[in-house]
Amino acid sequence: MSDALASLYPGPGASKRVPISLALLALIALACVLGPMVSPHPYDRVYPDYVFADPSLAPHPTAGEAKGAIEDIARRMGASIASLRQDRRALNVTLIGERPIDARDLRVFERSDVFAAPRVEASEGEGRRLTLDIPLQRNLFLFGTDANGRDLLTRTLIAGRVSLAVGLLASFVAIVIGVAYGAIAGFAGGGVDAVMMRIVEILYALPFIFFVIVLVMVFGRNFALIFVAIGAVEWLDMARLARGQTLSLKQREYVVAARALGVTPAAIIWRHILPNASGPIIAFLTLLAPRAILLESLISFLGLGVEEPLSSWGVLIADGARNIQGAIHLLIVPAAFLGATLAALQSLGQGLQQSFAEGFGGRAPNQPAPPE
Amino acid sequence: MLWRALSRILASAATLLIVIALSFFLMRLAPGGPFDSERPLDPEIAKNLRHIYRLDLPLGRQFLVYLQSLACGDFGPSLHWRDFSVNELFAHALPISMRLGAEAMTAALVIGGTLGVVGAAAKPGWRATLGAFAVDAAALIGVLLPPFVVAPLLQLFFGLTLHALPVGGWNEGAWRNQILPAATLALPQIAIIARLMQASLRDALKEPHMRTLRAFGLPPWRITAHAIRAAILAVVSYLGLAAANVLTGSVVVETIFGIPGMGRYFVDGALGRDYTLVMGTVVVVAALVIFFNLLVDLTYAWLDPRIADAEGR
Repeated sequence: MSDALASLYPGPGASKRVPISLALLALIALACVLGPMVSPHPYDRVYPDYVFADPSLAPHPTAGEAKGAIEDIARRMGASIASLRQDRRALNVTLIGERPIDARDLRVFERSDVFAAPRVEASEGEGRRLTLDIPLQRNLFLFGTDANGRDLLTRTLIAGRVSLAVGLLASFVAIVIGVAYGAIAGFAGGGVDAVMMRIVEILYALPFIFFVIVLVMVFGRNFALIFVAIGAVEWLDMARLARGQTLSLKQREYVVAARALGVTPAAIIWRHILPNASGPIIAFLTLLAPRAILLESLISFLGLGVEEPLSSWGVLIADGARNIQGAIHLLIVPAAFLGATLAALQSLGQGLQQSFAEGFGGRAPNQPAPPE
Repeated sequence: MLWRALSRILASAATLLIVIALSFFLMRLAPGGPFDSERPLDPEIAKNLRHIYRLDLPLGRQFLVYLQSLACGDFGPSLHWRDFSVNELFAHALPISMRLGAEAMTAALVIGGTLGVVGAAAKPGWRATLGAFAVDAAALIGVLLPPFVVAPLLQLFFGLTLHALPVGGWNEGAWRNQILPAATLALPQIAIIARLMQASLRDALKEPHMRTLRAFGLPPWRITAHAIRAAILAVVSYLGLAAANVLTGSVVVETIFGIPGMGRYFVDGALGRDYTLVMGTVVVVAALVIFFNLLVDLTYAWLDPRIADAEGR
């Protein structure tokens, strides 16, 4: 799957794609970080009255929902509705009860997600005929609600935090391992290099998702473990890239000079090679991140990833897949966020790599390498 | 050539051994055991269970015992499905997964290959534009829609809306049950193979010897046929990775479509802490992938003699 990403090589117009995808990414990231703070709905707030609400621009309750809710409450009070007037902000209702309606019973309205505290306009016959003015709440669920009546937009943004964080942290882990491995192999050269890269080649062929799942299963499902595990299996490409960069950089005069001055290999790698190799490495980070995000989503989709109350796009997509009949927005919304993020990262990485390749007159590292 | 084959086979065996060791020791590091339950077991019973499953031996001995039984083709008893051995489970699951995987790979090669050839070799005109567009679209879908999104959408469209195909289950391998899972598995591979084929065929057609063929006045389809022979190398070298990708995909696909294959047992085993089952799956999958890579490696050398020559020096 991850290779579906790698197979897209930069087409014409890659330079234009960089700012566009950067803007899209920034938008998604900002929305995920700030969105839940400004959203009127806490991500774990359950609205029992609005389960599986469809996405809509109109606030809830709709006229039909308000009517249904008041009929429901009246039935539970043992009262019937004598008259009902309704506008956008409030509901004016006259209830006739067989028994007097206790003022305490009116708290039912406050507890619902549809109404606010009612005001008694008129009360006749010790509360047997009660006219109430009940203000309506206004709840906007742009992307609808899930099976428990939670706002999907807020949940998607909260889940986005986890997905993006995993992408970033796992890529960081992969970079640390891969760059260290590749730089050492490239700098050492000779037999050490040959053996180290042969190991990478062997590992390349293994289906790593199995190892990630085994790791997660063995050490429990916590957040830190997931990104470390993903990072620990996604470093191979980075090792190749870092080795290639090191091989070309170590021929430069300043490295030879540093060696002649007796600088230790570790210091040369740290002070001369890594800073000069950082450009392509950072460009490659943007290609690693979508793979990590995808892998995390996959694990979470299978039910082996992050656990409630945390969620990630994979968890939400799994949720959507379970409710696909009747509530397809539960699948579409998180999938759209995931897809947009993957595409933006992918396009950004390719654009950056192409500019580095053009700048240094080299081959873009994500093009398929000739075997052997 | 012989030397190359021999060294590759040895390296493959060593890799498999490392994989087995790695997953074995990882598994034994796990906190919590297969016999943990809400109610603690009687110590005597727990001791007996541990003895039966050889969990009371020192770790090194356990590994040797496991290797020994693996060598005899015995994966041990399943810890979760108490009355089954892992072998019995695999005897059902492996053919199902292999069949789905083979179908998906065949579809991907045929469709992806055709798309790539049309995209690269058709004369400038609507056919070439359409081919190139199809390749781009396939690649874009491969990026935007991971299998775990595609699969539910296919289920919704073909199963719940059109009522044309079953949404899941294996049904003893009825062809109708195989279409959606195989399509889900094949889609990302179609994208990659089409891309690879298109790119390498474009390069191959630019080679000087193709110009010579054109100068001889050969019909275009024969020139393309010659170029395809060179271009197909890129696709062959990808097949090893493709096998790994299809096996990875089968985990998702089998879970979503409820197919009793290796991937599903793997996920169920991982959720239920079934050590022997998960170990067995990892070993079988790794062995399959390593074997397939070896095959691809040798085929590649056979197709492109320059490589064998370069190594045989």
